[in-house]
Amino acid sequence: MDQAIKSVRREEMKQLGKVLLKAGTMLMSAGANTGRIRNTINRIASAFDYSVELHISQRALSLTIMDEEESSFVSKLRRTPPHVINFTILSGISKMSWNIVQDNWSSEQILADLERLEKMPHYHRWMVLSLVGLAGAGFCALANGSPMDLLFTFLASFLGLFVRQEAVKANFNPYLAIYFAALTASLIAGGAVKLGLGHADSYAFVTSVLFLIPGVPLINSFSDIIDGNIQNGITRGVNALVISFSIALGIFTSTFIYQFQ
Amino acid sequence: MAALGFAALFNVPARCLPIIFLFGAVGIFVKLLLLLFGINIVFACLAGAAAIGFLSIPAAHYKHAPPLIFYIPAVIPMVPGIMAYRMMLGLIKLTESTQTLNYNTVLFETVNNGLKVLFILISLSVGVIVPMLLMRKESIKHVRVPFSKK
Repeated sequence: MDQAIKSVRREEMKQLGKVLLKAGTMLMSAGANTGRIRNTINRIASAFDYSVELHISQRALSLTIMDEEESSFVSKLRRTPPHVINFTILSGISKMSWNIVQDNWSSEQILADLERLEKMPHYHRWMVLSLVGLAGAGFCALANGSPMDLLFTFLASFLGLFVRQEAVKANFNPYLAIYFAALTASLIAGGAVKLGLGHADSYAFVTSVLFLIPGVPLINSFSDIIDGNIQNGITRGVNALVISFSIALGIFTSTFIYQFQ
Repeated sequence: MAALGFAALFNVPARCLPIIFLFGAVGIFVKLLLLLFGINIVFACLAGAAAIGFLSIPAAHYKHAPPLIFYIPAVIPMVPGIMAYRMMLGLIKLTESTQTLNYNTVLFETVNNGLKVLFILISLSVGVIVPMLLMRKESIKHVRVPFSKK
């Protein structure tokens, strides 16, 4: 009898482990900081009266689930999918974790909800492109660009992001994709400056690549370091640095082509 | 406007978009206001980011979404892109310039811009995170009690 209960609980723990790993890796790839991942997973596990120990890193997540008496435990490891920032997943999982605590969800329910969140649609591609174009123009306006600059920044950001999306689709290295995007954007904006349409101080040229700035890795890097997750913070910081470097390389390629001073 | 574009890029839920738009404007407004009073740009950015950070906590409770969703897109427009670009340009110039007089000016400008960029980035991140750290205990106590199991 006791054996039977134990094996049922073991099955439950295995199932829960699978669900928690899925939630954790989804959070990581959607751009959550380390503390948030740990809190969310602990919250879900405590709703099932299990305790969890975690090892969180940029590319993989490993966890050990224990029951209260620590008489049995389940350990699992899962690779994190490529990072694509998606705040809908973040807010969805956070809301779900509170619902789990409140309503005693089963792990099947959680798994179904995670799959639903995974399939949630992104904004329409053209809408994202135009909004990012407008964001670029907004940057340019903040930097005192002229209306002509704004127009070209819009165009440059729009096409730059388009190129990046295509490059990601074609499975290029992510940093290379950013380099292509920066190159495209600065070529367009720089062309306007070269033709004498833009501002002398090339505001359009600079602001056209600002949409590529690695804001999420940068902020997460600092928040991880402040939280004490220094290893993850450094990983994210280096990632942000390499992204910035690819952007700079893209700009310099087009400065070289146009022979700007 | 820039904040909104970033929000779309990061696939933020649609119900949060108007708030992010507003926060982006508030951050820039605080920064420009302080600059107008002649305060150092680093502190101005810190204050702007802190304003966004504090505001995003009630917003998170109101919209039932993590505060992260509000503050990241909202602070990105404050990133000093032009200064970073000038610094990069200066670094390249430093590698080719050989005349001492010219070199000094370029070195001065590059280091000045570079340090500003560095400190603004740090102050932006710290600015948005400090409110979270300050409010953390309160907010968790605040939220957990009604939902606890026993």
